[in-house]
Amino acid sequence: MFATGVSLLITLVLFANFNRHDSGYQFVWSTSWLPTYGCSLKFGVDGISMTLLLLVGFVSFCGAFVSSEIHEREKEYYILFLALTSGISGTFCTLDLFFFYFFYEMAVIPMYLLIGVWGSLPPGKHGRTKEYATMKLTLYLTAGAVLALIGLLAIYSISGTTDIEKLQHNWVAANTQLWVFPCLLFGFGFLASMWPFHTWSPLGYAAAPTAASMMHAGVLKKLGAYGIIRLALPLLPEGARHWANLLAVLACFNILYAGWVALTQKDWKFVIGYSSVSHMGYIFLGIAALNVVGVSGAVLLMFAHGIMAALTFGLIGFFYHQTHNRFVPDLSGLARKIPFIGVCMVMAVMASSGLPGFANFVSELMVFLGAWHQGSTLFRIATICGVWGIVVTATYLLRAVRTSFFGPFDERWSMLKDAVTFKQKFPYALLLVVLMTVGFYPRLLTDIIKQSVATFVPANSETDVAVAEPATSELPKVQE
Amino acid sequence: MIGHGEAAGIMNLYAVQLECLIAIWGILILLTDAFVPIQNKRTIGYMAAAFTAAAFFYSFFLVPVDEMLFHGMYRFDMFALYFKRLFLLALTMVLVMAAEFSPRIESGMVEFYALLMFCAVGMLLIASVNDFILLFVALELVTITFYVLASYLRRQIPSLEAGTKYLILGALSSGFTVYGIAYIFGTTGTTNFDKLSAHLSTLGSQPPLAFTFGMLLVLTGLGFKIASVPFQIWAPDVYQGAPTPVTAFLAVGSKAAGFALLLRVLFAGLLPVQYIWGPLLLVLAGATILYGNLGAIPQHNIKRLLGYSSIGHAGYMLMGIAAGNALGLSAVLFYLGQYAFTNLCAFLAIIAVTAVTGSDEIASFSGLGKRSPILGLALFLSMMSLAGVPPLSGFFGKFQLFAAVIRRAQTDWHYYVLAVIGAVAVVISLYFYLGVGRAIYMQEAEDASPIPVSRPMRLALYVCMVAMIGLGIYQLPLVNASIMAAKVFGLH
Repeated sequence: MFATGVSLLITLVLFANFNRHDSGYQFVWSTSWLPTYGCSLKFGVDGISMTLLLLVGFVSFCGAFVSSEIHEREKEYYILFLALTSGISGTFCTLDLFFFYFFYEMAVIPMYLLIGVWGSLPPGKHGRTKEYATMKLTLYLTAGAVLALIGLLAIYSISGTTDIEKLQHNWVAANTQLWVFPCLLFGFGFLASMWPFHTWSPLGYAAAPTAASMMHAGVLKKLGAYGIIRLALPLLPEGARHWANLLAVLACFNILYAGWVALTQKDWKFVIGYSSVSHMGYIFLGIAALNVVGVSGAVLLMFAHGIMAALTFGLIGFFYHQTHNRFVPDLSGLARKIPFIGVCMVMAVMASSGLPGFANFVSELMVFLGAWHQGSTLFRIATICGVWGIVVTATYLLRAVRTSFFGPFDERWSMLKDAVTFKQKFPYALLLVVLMTVGFYPRLLTDIIKQSVATFVPANSETDVAVAEPATSELPKVQE
Repeated sequence: MIGHGEAAGIMNLYAVQLECLIAIWGILILLTDAFVPIQNKRTIGYMAAAFTAAAFFYSFFLVPVDEMLFHGMYRFDMFALYFKRLFLLALTMVLVMAAEFSPRIESGMVEFYALLMFCAVGMLLIASVNDFILLFVALELVTITFYVLASYLRRQIPSLEAGTKYLILGALSSGFTVYGIAYIFGTTGTTNFDKLSAHLSTLGSQPPLAFTFGMLLVLTGLGFKIASVPFQIWAPDVYQGAPTPVTAFLAVGSKAAGFALLLRVLFAGLLPVQYIWGPLLLVLAGATILYGNLGAIPQHNIKRLLGYSSIGHAGYMLMGIAAGNALGLSAVLFYLGQYAFTNLCAFLAIIAVTAVTGSDEIASFSGLGKRSPILGLALFLSMMSLAGVPPLSGFFGKFQLFAAVIRRAQTDWHYYVLAVIGAVAVVISLYFYLGVGRAIYMQEAEDASPIPVSRPMRLALYVCMVAMIGLGIYQLPLVNASIMAAKVFGLH
């Protein structure tokens, strides 16, 4: 906890020092690592990775807070938790292909043990054990990673460098891009739970201990989308244009299919798990739009959803730890015994359904605007699907909250204790505050994201940007 | 050579000093048997290990010799030194294992150490082979000692079965090798690799069919050593049945020796006909990777699992050879180096555990993480390194091999197929390696008593683990060494 606290502080200091008018990489630090391979250990952040590093900082800090429920083999638990965190933050700030992949893969194995040793999966219709869940998760993620590796190595052997900054000028031939792009898209898509490769995700979350599901749903999953935004889009623009339509269609499947599945789920963690798969659909839709507003919206949504998902999983963990039951129909009237948790959960659900005032609203709006202004009929249909998806989200989430937190009180739960001490309340409050701060003042992040996104995503046309720009956050164009 | 006979003689002696040292030390160890009481036999093993460790460090003071030695039969270049160090390291660790294993050997403990050392002498020779005749002699020295070692537990049926299987198939493959050498000599008139290469490059056209036939026969013999498809059937049975230190030496030493020969023959002797063996190895690499990794899935004996896994890893390394570029070559060398640490670590842990449980079944490793945190961690890390997970050394080994294959794929798209097969196999392999991990950390032991770990064992485990993690994060030293070693073939 101390270590994550320090890393959050460092991140905040970095953020405070971040030059808000510079679209390039900052705090670049590099040292030659393997000169024979032209690869160096190079770190640096731009607006996109800064945003996501903030996310890592907040979520891991809160995750460490809620980990106080772990009493068995604590030392190993925290070692793995920190290994996971370092893998994730390493990926977000590295500027070298080799180390990108290195950290990316490094994040997978701690997860395997965290779920396998400290997780719990109540028996249910799925008929699976936590061993099954964690093995499935690990194999899916590795499959995606090696697929991406082939694409990355192809880029490397064509260009001869692993420096991401240099690679942006070292363009791969257009017809090669056409097949390298899907390698990266689907490879990273596995981790970002792209339909139809999402099935590992709800099961994995359901089996994971609270802090691990917070980290996974909140942050680790975003690595996949980050990989697409950081590597696939700038390095392979031709490929991106070619495959954008397919991505948009898959995004719709993500949003609607996962939403539909979530409607039928009875386990709280499965509801939220499918909900997070569904939300990844919006992120993909934003990426597929390939314009500044859409991609920036996707990045902001990654941040907002990360915080929100961590919050929900944390809250579920809080009552599950006491009830040992997270079956929605079994729980009833919980809000009477645990009002603080109840209020937080209602707020989280409102954020998730995209109500104004939370960061999710702004980012989803940006995604829809971006997709709509992309112009083609396909994207307009996709946008309509997306908006409809919000209705679906609201339906299942509000229904779940109504059933378990309100309604007649069930005597079985009279032993529940609310979060009373500061230590118990703090992580949830912190996440909510972050969510609302960004919701009310999105420019805090959108300014820096947009600049960085604009360096590699071409605006479709001047008019598009002109229409999109004032609609999202009324910001004057950056002068420099 | 004539005229400076004496200087050449000293040079020759300088080049074979490591072989001589180990052989003499092996004989001395044999002699001590007569004077040392039976309860101190374990100490002899540790002494032998300490001496080979000293020889390992000593080898870093040796410098390569550019001249032809023993009339061109013997090379003492960076490539040879790289492999000699590898073999000495493996021998040290295997001797530690043998000493730990000694209570389970009924009689002839000291002979067991000595045989391991003589076997290593053969391997040291193999590292320097530059002629088909010496190739055969060195190969037989290694193989014949392994026949004895594999069946050393002579009251146990599996061990005898392992020895017999290895003997029959090994003898058959040796026969193929000699037959092949005869064809190559018959068609080109030389057994020396350099002369062979020169002869082939002046040929201009396709070599005669008889030569190709001979070459394939030699590759058959070497394919047996490295356990590549279609000569891999023996590996799981022998690995399972042989005494565990012997299995470790087979997996690390014998495999590396096979690759040393394969690299030397292909890149020093047969490089001009790369267009013949390149596509062949491409197919074999893919088939070997799939066979090893698919075959390992249903296994529940850990030594058998590692037998299949070693087939799979032979396939990965063949990928690098098939790529046939400098990157692939140094990748294979790096891979062998890190594979030695990884596999030795696994076998060290296995020996320590089986000394208490008496079973090689994966189920008997349940709860190891609680029974002995260090053994659990060592076995888990080595499994993850075999699977190729960062930040462990196995990851970087695979990364380089894939990079080499994909670089080659820029000119020949077939190599993309190989890369995809390899990538799929990585996922498959993670499944069964994690199966071991699951037993270690997620299952409860029936008998939760702690497992003792002796001090030399602990030291050896630490060395392996530090190497695995160290080479995974800071790869440069071994990368440089492997590039230096690969340079002797002058590829691009």
